[in-house]
Amino acid sequence: MEKILRQKAKELLESGAVNVVIGYGWNRSKTRTTPVFITDPAQADTLVWNPLCVNNLSLYLTRKFKEIKALGKPAIVAKGCDIRNIVVLITEGQFKREDVFIIGMTCNGVVYKQELWKGELTANIMPTKCHNCDVRNPHMTDFVVGEKTNFTPPEVPTGMVFDKIKELDSKPQSERWDFWIKEFSKCVKCYACRQVCSLCYCERCITEKNMPQWIETSAHPRGNLSWNLTRAMHLVGRCTFCGECERACPVNIPLNLINQKMIGVVKESFDFKSGYDEKTHPPMIVFSPDDKENFIK
Amino acid sequence: MADKILKKAGLGALIESVTGKGGRFVAPTTDSRQVVFKKVKSAEEVATDYILARNSFKEFLFPQTEVVAEFTMSKDSVDMKGVEVYAPQTVVFGARPCEAASLAGMRALFTWDFIDEFYTKREENTVVVTVACTKGDDACFCTTVNLSPESTEGTDVYLREAADSYIVQAVTEKGKKFVETHAAVFSEGNAKAEPLFMPEKIANIDIAKVSARLKDKTHYDDKVWARLTSKCIGCGACTFVCPTCRCFDIVDEGTAFEGERRKNWDSCQYDTFTLHASGHNPREHQHQRWRNRFMCKFHFYPEKFSSKGCVGCGRCIRVCPVRLDITEVMEEFSK
Ligand code: SF4
Ligand code: SF4
Ligand code: SF4
Ligand code: SF4
Ligand code: SF4
Repeated sequence: MEKILRQKAKELLESGAVNVVIGYGWNRSKTRTTPVFITDPAQADTLVWNPLCVNNLSLYLTRKFKEIKALGKPAIVAKGCDIRNIVVLITEGQFKREDVFIIGMTCNGVVYKQELWKGELTANIMPTKCHNCDVRNPHMTDFVVGEKTNFTPPEVPTGMVFDKIKELDSKPQSERWDFWIKEFSKCVKCYACRQVCSLCYCERCITEKNMPQWIETSAHPRGNLSWNLTRAMHLVGRCTFCGECERACPVNIPLNLINQKMIGVVKESFDFKSGYDEKTHPPMIVFSPDDKENFIK
Repeated sequence: MADKILKKAGLGALIESVTGKGGRFVAPTTDSRQVVFKKVKSAEEVATDYILARNSFKEFLFPQTEVVAEFTMSKDSVDMKGVEVYAPQTVVFGARPCEAASLAGMRALFTWDFIDEFYTKREENTVVVTVACTKGDDACFCTTVNLSPESTEGTDVYLREAADSYIVQAVTEKGKKFVETHAAVFSEGNAKAEPLFMPEKIANIDIAKVSARLKDKTHYDDKVWARLTSKCIGCGACTFVCPTCRCFDIVDEGTAFEGERRKNWDSCQYDTFTLHASGHNPREHQHQRWRNRFMCKFHFYPEKFSSKGCVGCGRCIRVCPVRLDITEVMEEFSK
């Protein structure tokens, strides 16, 4: 797959169809992948593809990255799950479908965190999103790398996100509250979760509004709770469960539980899952006369 | 001559001895599937199989958030009241030699043009007990910044691991006093130290050259910055786990009538860090912010305080969600 990927990247850059290819490359010791921005066709051979390609590179298409935008029209190496974020960005008017060339990678899963890699990909070291992935064969692409795949992981470990949500849901409210207060109390207010999320593209986040101060910046329980809850609310109906926020959180707060829980609620209430169709607007930004709630009518 | 020994089985007694006298005992412990420095109460909580704790122990000297004053306001007056510095006797156990070496730079900053007692008092009451490394990973690069698992800079008591004990070396006066105070848990004996993990020095890096390059301002607009660091997403995680990063922000929080003045960690990697009220931002692009972090480590600190800005612990590399590796930039600037 790497060979085809490199060839395509080279071709796109040489023909001038795109000016930059956003993809994955190796670090110096070839133990970890890292995002690369290739502008020189001769460098296309540094692109790599393997189960360590965890980053959701759609982040670099957002308006926060002016320098990358300045490089010109991008092509992006994207897994199906990453493409879901691109879909959301398009439905939210961040750019147009034709503004980006999508090199979709067929995919049998990636590792949850790069440090777990011991040379072999097993279901145990995959994130939940890969266990029940429905976009292995990427759904919105300009070019696909890799053969069609029907992969299903043989033995999915228990105790992953869905089990944990079930377990939490079965507890009384006070215990759930205690659970989250304890988790959020670890938050160091670094905002890595926001920075890594391609759907957190606001140039001025509510945490930075201090006239008046909406969210206290101190990493104390009250400030943390308002931060984590506000962020969750701003992603309802939009979050695709790509898992980048949980991966980036330096104190390992299980943010995926919140993400998946919200996805469940939105699915139930609006029969909607984000990131599949760039022509359908997410429920939080549309008005529909058929809405089952009637407060708005 | 017999060595001073701390039996591993005697760690619990040491913890009791410290906490019994009202002190806090901070050690690496497993929390949320990772090893972090935390206050512990018993030996069972102390992790033994780890490379470095994910966080640095700086938060026990310089907390993430701290009240430095209280205020009340009325129509025509503001009352400001100082607060007592919280500086309990503290033992940091299980630090690594690299991170212990960060204290000199911390102290230099907090005593530079103003003595920040919130830091100094706490540091004075802290004993750093270092356990030399017997394992490491490919992010460790202490030997490249002229440190090693044998370094004792910043360490008060230096421990080498043996099969069922630690071989104890009191490095500073504070360390000697600590060993005397808790004499009952130490013994005399002979033990064979396990071999140390020595990270290989990264061949193409010369930190003297890096610093010299940074001193010459022509690097400022070098394309290299954007090329190597524009992938940085500005999450600040690297600065939060770094033992030498110590930028903070002062905020007032509360109601219109009363509140607290707090000192919170801040990060030069945030776009708001240098944002002026006018809207102008002198470090508009992420690579410029990253350049600042790098200059802080290899130019400002060595130049201004003759101290190390980077101790090679590799935390920033491990935690970075885009795997931006500071040694790759050091390599580029060694050319
Ligand atoms: S969720 Fe699907 S497309 Fe995404 S990494 Fe996992 S298997 Fe690949
Ligand atoms: S999983 Fe996290 S990073 Fe991904 S879209 Fe949802 S909130 Fe953003
Ligand atoms: S990444 Fe984690 S620690 Fe940082 S702000 Fe988000 S939840 Fe808090
Ligand atoms: S810059 Fe990185 S390697 Fe250097 S001291 Fe800080 S965290 Fe450790
Ligand atoms: S951890 Fe990495 S991405 Fe985050 S601010 Fe530091 S260098 Fe940038």
